[in-house]
Amino acid sequence: MILPGFIYFVIFKYFPMGGLIISFQDYQPYLGIKDSPWVGFKHFVRLFTEPTFAMLLSNTLILFALELVIFFPIPIILALMMNEVRHRLFRNSIQTIVYIPHFMSWVIIVSITYVFLSVDGGVVNEIIAAFGGSKISFLTSPEWLRPMYILQIIWKEAGWSTIIYLAAITVVDTQLYEAAEMDGASRLRKMWHVTLPAIRPVIITLLILKIGNTLELGFEHMYLLLNSLNREVGEIFDTYIFTAGLKNGQLSFSTTVGLFKGLVGLVLVMFANRLAKKLGEDGVY
Amino acid sequence: MRYRTSKLLALTLSGALLLSACSGGSGDSGTNADGKTTISWLNIMHTASPPTDTVLNKIEEITDVDIQFSWIPDASKEERLNTSLASGSLADIVSLTILENSSVRNALKAGVFWEVGPYLDEFPNLKGISQDMRNSASIEGKLYGIPMQKQVARNGVILRKDWLDKVGLPVPKTTAELMEVAKAFTEQDPDGNGVKDTTGFIDRSDLVFGAFKTLGSYFGTPSGWAISEDGKVTPEFESEGYIQAMDYMKELYTNGYINQDFAVTAKKDQQEGFAQGKAGIYVGALFDSKGLFNLAQGVQDDMELVMVNDITSTGNESDRAIWSTSNGVGGLLAFPKSEVKDEAELKRILKFMDDLMSEEVFTLMTYGIKDVHYSLDENNGATIIDTKLWEQEVQPFSSSRPNENGYAIVDADPLRIESTRLIEENTTFAVLNPVYSLESPTFSEQGSELQKIITDATYKYILGKTDRAGFQNAIDTWRKSGGDKIITEYEAAHQAVLNNK
Repeated sequence: MILPGFIYFVIFKYFPMGGLIISFQDYQPYLGIKDSPWVGFKHFVRLFTEPTFAMLLSNTLILFALELVIFFPIPIILALMMNEVRHRLFRNSIQTIVYIPHFMSWVIIVSITYVFLSVDGGVVNEIIAAFGGSKISFLTSPEWLRPMYILQIIWKEAGWSTIIYLAAITVVDTQLYEAAEMDGASRLRKMWHVTLPAIRPVIITLLILKIGNTLELGFEHMYLLLNSLNREVGEIFDTYIFTAGLKNGQLSFSTTVGLFKGLVGLVLVMFANRLAKKLGEDGVY
Repeated sequence: MRYRTSKLLALTLSGALLLSACSGGSGDSGTNADGKTTISWLNIMHTASPPTDTVLNKIEEITDVDIQFSWIPDASKEERLNTSLASGSLADIVSLTILENSSVRNALKAGVFWEVGPYLDEFPNLKGISQDMRNSASIEGKLYGIPMQKQVARNGVILRKDWLDKVGLPVPKTTAELMEVAKAFTEQDPDGNGVKDTTGFIDRSDLVFGAFKTLGSYFGTPSGWAISEDGKVTPEFESEGYIQAMDYMKELYTNGYINQDFAVTAKKDQQEGFAQGKAGIYVGALFDSKGLFNLAQGVQDDMELVMVNDITSTGNESDRAIWSTSNGVGGLLAFPKSEVKDEAELKRILKFMDDLMSEEVFTLMTYGIKDVHYSLDENNGATIIDTKLWEQEVQPFSSSRPNENGYAIVDADPLRIESTRLIEENTTFAVLNPVYSLESPTFSEQGSELQKIITDATYKYILGKTDRAGFQNAIDTWRKSGGDKIITEYEAAHQAVLNNK
């Protein structure tokens, strides 16, 4: 029964990889791969020498680091907290409420943000003004882009990401809790010494997977937030590939950027996996 | 087990084949069941939704063609046209309104579309396309589609006349007076509600079709590029006028005379804001006045509009100028060779184009059906009967007209008459883009991306986040990353044209 999966991967994952070849060409769709001129490493040279490269790499890495440090622990904490809620109905309703934002599209979330944060008539700025403060142009200030980006991710995804942790928590052996209780452990102690170690493999696995997606930040999300004034901190590989490739039609160059992005992700995941194994965990492969 | 897997394999493979079969072969022109020619048209939609069938049926009747539209929203035209070009999923007619875009230009030069120049004179209406227009729309001397003929320069300033009266100011003639008006509109509560909730200007995040470029004209900025007498090419952003326009916008922004979020405001929000009485100065196409007025019905019923096209920074009539980016070429209606297979088919489509330019179809695409959408007075003046209905059934067609000039029937609406008159008058003062029909391979390849450097720096300057030195840095980056090459190439191309004459 492995065959359908095999075919799926060959047709939709491995076969398209052949298309990467166009990063060594000046690809023209009407000529096709066969007739487009070969240019060697021209596009790679352009990528690494253009001033945008440093900006793209640092923006992507900084955002990724922020996501990892700020966002990643939040679902874990949230799951631990939800696990402590004993009242079933209460707990279920909390879960439902925190899941809902996940089902909204980025377009809606960014639009809501615009309504709240705009300078002319935005709710937040009206409140600031009412207390005598001076209005802040959240949407056009580079320094506000990153906080806004991370907060939106937390709002949208934190609840949904607790699902796996909650599932992992339910299989923790109840005897461990009972034993801990016998030893006089408080609820906090139990959380720290029983629940958390029990879900550690899950956390590590998700962490490695997350690192694998290092440069895979939300394209749609960032694209909607970008403008001329915050581009210096907001342009990331994904948005750049989109504008260079689809808006300006430089298919070969944007393929090169995408290829580079994929390679960095691959290296990082291998590194993270080895680190996990060194630390005595299973890793993902 | 073995049997089952092979069946599955067959299923999967046939599925894949089906998929690939679907992707090709759409949009072939042919004949439909009634024997009419079918013509598919990949078209840009400037309205919120595509038109209903009422007017379309009429057009099909007259032209004896079954038209199959695929509409692309204006906001995503770059992505959509580029993906269509890359995947070869085109239609018999493709509306290319972004000729400056790198990949569109490359596709044109690569011969993806038919060259139509030699055929035009065979058709009575197409024959009338002037030589100037043909030249401007050509690339390296070849015309790859029917040029969409627009007015050369349509921009100007639209002001709230009722607010001007309220604050006791005359219609501005100079940029300084315009600043006075903006100040008064912001500070003197022109809507009389006792709250300081209005601004002078309301603008959108568009340095070309928004306020910036038009204000730039008033300060003498060239349109896109300038070519000096000794053949030197300089970009507009190295001109003194460009800096003055940035300073002017900066003053508006710092003093709060413009909506503070203009850098992230969409056109729709700008127009709605104006209609809701949030601001009193709108800079854009002069014919937008009618749309703004319609939009304000029921919200700002006191709204009276006045349009101005003769503002200068010096007050001298001789300094009057207004930019024209594409010199009156609104784009090309192009016919891909992949869809239009032979000359006979091309001629059939050109015949259709010719029919579209007739007075009858022009009227349909502009005003709709007589006595349903508009009524006609004795002076050939058309009055829209039901604005809502017109917006749904007719308006979407108006941006696909091959020609907008020189028809007998005119709009009888006073705002329209006035805007038409002013736009006509603009022609005399239009500053053309001198490199529009010149070729620069580097510009074709990287132009759109390089422009981003300048656009970003311009916004930063206006919002006070960078200064003259910072802006100069951006220009240096632009020059280093390819700008210098573009200039050299344009200079060479310009020289080549001179030598040929």
